[in-house]
Amino acid sequence: MQEDQIPNRVTLQHECEQFLYHAAALLDDRRLNEWHELVTDDISYRVPIRTTRERASDTEFSDTSYHMKEDWDTLKVRTERMASDFAWSEDPPSRTRRQVSNVRITDSSDDEIELTNNLVIVQSRKSETEPDLLSMKRHETLRRDEDGYAPEWINGPGLKLAEREVLLDHTVIPTSSLSIIL
Amino acid sequence: MSHDSERSISSDESDPQQIRRLLDHMAEALEQNEVPLEILNNEAIYQRELSQIFGQTWTYIGHVSEIPEPGDYRQRTIGEDPFIFTRDENGEIRVLFNSCRHRGANVCRAEKGNTTHFRCPYHGWTYQNTGDLVGVPQKGDGFDHLDADDHSLHEAPHVDEYNGLVFACIAPDAQPLEEYLGGATWYLDMYFDLIDMEVIGDPHRWVVDADWKTPTENFYGDNYHVPMGHKSAIDVGIGSETATGEQESELYGIADCDGHAFSVYQIESEEPMFWGHPEEVVETFNHDVLSPEQYEVARKSGVTLGSIFPNLSFIFLGGRDDPNKDPVGTFCLRQWQPRGPGEMEVWNWILAPADASTEYKERVYEVGMSTFSVSGNFEADDIGIWDGIDEAAGSVFAERVEATTQFTMGTGEEAAATVDDDWAGPGTAYANGGLTDENQLDFYRTWHETMVNEGAE
Repeated sequence: MQEDQIPNRVTLQHECEQFLYHAAALLDDRRLNEWHELVTDDISYRVPIRTTRERASDTEFSDTSYHMKEDWDTLKVRTERMASDFAWSEDPPSRTRRQVSNVRITDSSDDEIELTNNLVIVQSRKSETEPDLLSMKRHETLRRDEDGYAPEWINGPGLKLAEREVLLDHTVIPTSSLSIIL
Repeated sequence: MSHDSERSISSDESDPQQIRRLLDHMAEALEQNEVPLEILNNEAIYQRELSQIFGQTWTYIGHVSEIPEPGDYRQRTIGEDPFIFTRDENGEIRVLFNSCRHRGANVCRAEKGNTTHFRCPYHGWTYQNTGDLVGVPQKGDGFDHLDADDHSLHEAPHVDEYNGLVFACIAPDAQPLEEYLGGATWYLDMYFDLIDMEVIGDPHRWVVDADWKTPTENFYGDNYHVPMGHKSAIDVGIGSETATGEQESELYGIADCDGHAFSVYQIESEEPMFWGHPEEVVETFNHDVLSPEQYEVARKSGVTLGSIFPNLSFIFLGGRDDPNKDPVGTFCLRQWQPRGPGEMEVWNWILAPADASTEYKERVYEVGMSTFSVSGNFEADDIGIWDGIDEAAGSVFAERVEATTQFTMGTGEEAAATVDDDWAGPGTAYANGGLTDENQLDFYRTWHETMVNEGAE
């Protein structure tokens, strides 16, 4: 990397983190429609099923079976349903707190940024004192978009989510349903 | 998930006394079409279920398409007991106990894979995937007296397959599988003989604070809950066309079917329905294997669901995951695994017609996943509702007032559900089947019979 690119790299890292924090906060605050406005029309959102495998196996993740495999329309269906007064899995709603960390940009162009990050979701329900924990790594692609999210100090287009692959640490999901966006 | 359901009620009774009291209460309650609430969270009852039900009846292990090649294996459980579901080198399907004959360690530690041998990581005893013991380190020096033939991995004494569905029974004596399934075979043939089905990928697995009997009861035929329980999904226009009201259908509840039960939604139409499968997929079916009566039921089917005692359920649904996409026929097979009183682990497999196109199978998967799975738009709300039954069932108060659950729907004089004597299949068919509890009563009657069966101990 050339020395004069370093400020750009730092700025980009900060901008991506701000996007991820903002998107996580929208979900924690149950502003599902606003979150959905931050995904691109061609979004690919996948949560492949993980199995316990021997170390020598190529992958622990299925390439045919998923906990979620979504496009723009099915995410719309989910976010609309979750906001319904009759979605018993989320009414009364669970309380979630998303911790995003280890954000690392793996590739970037003028239009798109590929990155990975870790996410821990602490989910509490009812009067339970021990929350459920969901732990995962995410591979994502963010794309420049005029309607995307931009912090105030950014001039020009903000960012939208174009691709997300969620690699769970769980083979057996520890929550009674996945009625939240990961 | 916090396991606040594990508390057993405060009682001076011994376990046998408690079991006897509850099963006696159940016998009386069933006469009134009621079921004691306590059986949904009681440690003594749970332990007896493990031995009397899961230790005595045939239970589902897996589908042949999950282990297509010699050496393929997957870990499975019977009740809570660990087994390896494998296809040995000779192509024979085996259900081996996952415990080394030497010191009991698991010889298979991955959920799935392919291997000719299972080697115990403790001392290295090695078994062929037939179960035969073929390697004992330093055998000549330490185990020269050991007859390897007597130390194969234990295996389920009864393993059999019906149209690709593999079941096992760990009781010493078992009736033949086909006899156990009884009248259910007539219905299973419509899904697994008419259609060559295959499992797609790996099952969804998740834990739920509810007793295994709660969803089993539901899938025996609780069609009364659909408009309320699934309103959020129906309102956004997904699921089956019968649920959204786009298709008029007649629901038949099939009870009295050798302990198993089905719900069959029939759409009166000249058009072939076949659970929403399009013409090019229907063309791949085995059209000559069914009787004309079975074939006609299959042709008119919109949605079918049902359960095989004790804990295998399915739903075959013509539906969609998005109101703007074409419906497909999706098949979700599920097993409600006992994991403690008031606790279960759900296993959910999605199946598609094996001879359909890759693109179609993908759509079948997507629709299945988005309706019935841990993230299913329908399933999530069921589970959200069931959470809490375990707490009520395990309460002191439930014991004190002898609380019961009600299965009296359709027993009044003006009841809309009526027996249809013209039904061609086995069992008793109730028209307006959503307005009777006969199916669910069948589950609890079978459960009670199995629990009190002294001959099986």
